[in-house]
Amino acid sequence: MIRRNGTRGRNPGFRRSLLSRYLLIIVIAVLFLPVIFPLSLIIYTLSDHYHWTSGNTADETKKAFKPYSNIAELEKMWHKEARLLAGKSDREIGARLKALGDRYQYASMFWVNGEGMTRLALPPEKKSGSEAGADNGATGGTDNGATGRTDGTDIGAAVPARWTALQAIAFMKDSVGSDPLTVVAFIGDRADAGEGFMAMRVPKSVLPRNTGSVPLALYGLMLLVLLAFAAISWLFFAGIRGRLLRLQTAMTLDGRDGLPAAIPKGKPDEIGMLEEAFNTMVAELKDSRRREREEEELRKRLIADLSHDLRTPLTVVRSHLFQVGKEPLSPQGKESLNLMDERIADLGVLIDNLLNYNLLASGRVKLSPGRQDVLRLLRESAAAWYPVWTKEGMEVDIELEGEPLVWEVDEIWFRRVLDNLYQNVVRHAKGGGYVGVAAEDRGGVRTVVIRDRGKGLGEASPAKGAGIGLAIVDMLLSRMGLAWTADSDPEGTSVCIYPKDRG
Amino acid sequence: MSGTLLYIEDDPQIAGPVARDLRDRGYAVRWLQTGERAVEEADGCHLAILDVMLPGLDGFTVGQRLKKCFPGVPILMLSARTSIDDKLQGLEFADDYLTKPFHPDELAARIGVLLRRSGSVSAAPLSLKHLTVYEEENRIALTESGEEIPLTGKQFQIFFYLLRHLGQIMTKEQIYEAVWGEPYMEGDKTLMVHIRYLREKLEKDPAAPEIIETVRGIGYRIKA
Repeated sequence: MIRRNGTRGRNPGFRRSLLSRYLLIIVIAVLFLPVIFPLSLIIYTLSDHYHWTSGNTADETKKAFKPYSNIAELEKMWHKEARLLAGKSDREIGARLKALGDRYQYASMFWVNGEGMTRLALPPEKKSGSEAGADNGATGGTDNGATGRTDGTDIGAAVPARWTALQAIAFMKDSVGSDPLTVVAFIGDRADAGEGFMAMRVPKSVLPRNTGSVPLALYGLMLLVLLAFAAISWLFFAGIRGRLLRLQTAMTLDGRDGLPAAIPKGKPDEIGMLEEAFNTMVAELKDSRRREREEEELRKRLIADLSHDLRTPLTVVRSHLFQVGKEPLSPQGKESLNLMDERIADLGVLIDNLLNYNLLASGRVKLSPGRQDVLRLLRESAAAWYPVWTKEGMEVDIELEGEPLVWEVDEIWFRRVLDNLYQNVVRHAKGGGYVGVAAEDRGGVRTVVIRDRGKGLGEASPAKGAGIGLAIVDMLLSRMGLAWTADSDPEGTSVCIYPKDRG
Repeated sequence: MSGTLLYIEDDPQIAGPVARDLRDRGYAVRWLQTGERAVEEADGCHLAILDVMLPGLDGFTVGQRLKKCFPGVPILMLSARTSIDDKLQGLEFADDYLTKPFHPDELAARIGVLLRRSGSVSAAPLSLKHLTVYEEENRIALTESGEEIPLTGKQFQIFFYLLRHLGQIMTKEQIYEAVWGEPYMEGDKTLMVHIRYLREKLEKDPAAPEIIETVRGIGYRIKA
């Protein structure tokens, strides 16, 4: 059954979540894009309006500029006037143009007849603010048709008295998109009428700004918005990344007890919940480790007490048997005493093995493997057992010469393995009268071999039925990355120990 | 060998026969059932034998106190607690750790080794075959003629190292590292050469040594 605690699986709430915060950024960005277009247009229009209405004579100027407020209408009007002048006399045309000149006082006009002669050139009656400084303020018109002269003061430089075809074509071409705005219409509004053309030139300063193209400011504003969105997104994810990295660092660093340390509580969002869950996990791990230690201590204490309680009476019996042995006894009595003493010693070993087996099987024994010269350990162990072997009348054959044999073993527990194996030899194979300890090359792998000439283990598997001492050997060697085999026959037993990964 | 032993054991059924046996072997035994007065009673003792599980202060605590007050007095832990942890804890301050049930002969042998190693008991001259060894005077003489056998520094150190572990087989590494104070390199013949010269001085027939025995494949020992 899964137990849920206060943190595990708890939702931080949509309002506090990272999802909601990022969605907010997206929504603001998405909403802001449609807003920015009309907004910038409004700003642009307002600034344009301000441009038109700035100055002391704002109302008058506004009124004066009104005829020019719509370029399309202006062009339409000029073409209409040209169409109406079809077939009219020069006087009528001149009069009409003058009338138009009065209406469009900021515009200059001229008329070229069918023969290419400039018949009328009307300079603007008024100048717009930007032109005023550069202009001499000429307001008079010249009716070339009526007076026979052309006044080039205002527009004369651009309007020749006589037009060649090339000049006319160049003028037409230059007038497209020019400043000032130039509107040209054929009299009769048809080129094939052959009655010439009339042109009107309006300075751009009196015309409305072209709203058909997006100004640079609008692009700039949009770019600014996009950059702001990118910057906010970057900051948002940089914040998340920083917190995740902090969490990762906390997870990988071990504290004093080998467990990660808790991290300070952060914001109450998903990562905050993750941090809280991590802290809870660390706390539970620490608690579990503490309980484990307590259980281990309790188990060890119980085993130590049990060992004590079993061994103490054995010690009493053995001490008193020894005292009895000092008394005069029959040979059978002495033999019985010796037998009892041996069995007590065996019982002591059995208790030791049982308790060690219990600890090892429960995984409570922590091994500390290190690089050890196994030959050295074998020699030292054999030195301790040598008196026992010779006392039992056994021939001892030690072949441990050569380069050090370095394995990763726990020194104390490897000695325990050797003790158990030697003990086995003494208990079960002393009849063979031989014990051999050697380091041999077997299939390219240096192998430790312990031989005896006893009657054999009688079992194919070394661990099964081979006694608790060998079961301990099996467990310990396995935990030290070593393997072992026992080749047993009626001629004797060879126990081989070698690294597991010898292939 | 003689000397005074402090023996702390709460179980009289064990302490009785053990103390009697030790007295039979020539030692004076001060037996205590608890460790409360151990430090006071240890004054003048040559060795302390300690049980671990005692009423009141446990054997580890008593042993540590004794070692602090009498650092020269060897301590032998005699315990029914056999775990590696207990042995390691005991050997932090004790000189030897013997587990119950023990054989009284083994106990006596270990006491003898510890007393000889500590040099706290004035030992009688030791007779080794044709030699007499005066341990306190660091002197070796032929028993028959009384002629002293001079040894070089290294020969002396090797001989007395083996003598301190009388009866025990010491490996080549153990001897070399104790005498030269540096790690033994396999194949180094230095120790073998020194042993040969030592035998030439000590043995009647160096080809058939009686004093320093070679245990093939393991090391050397001086047999008691």
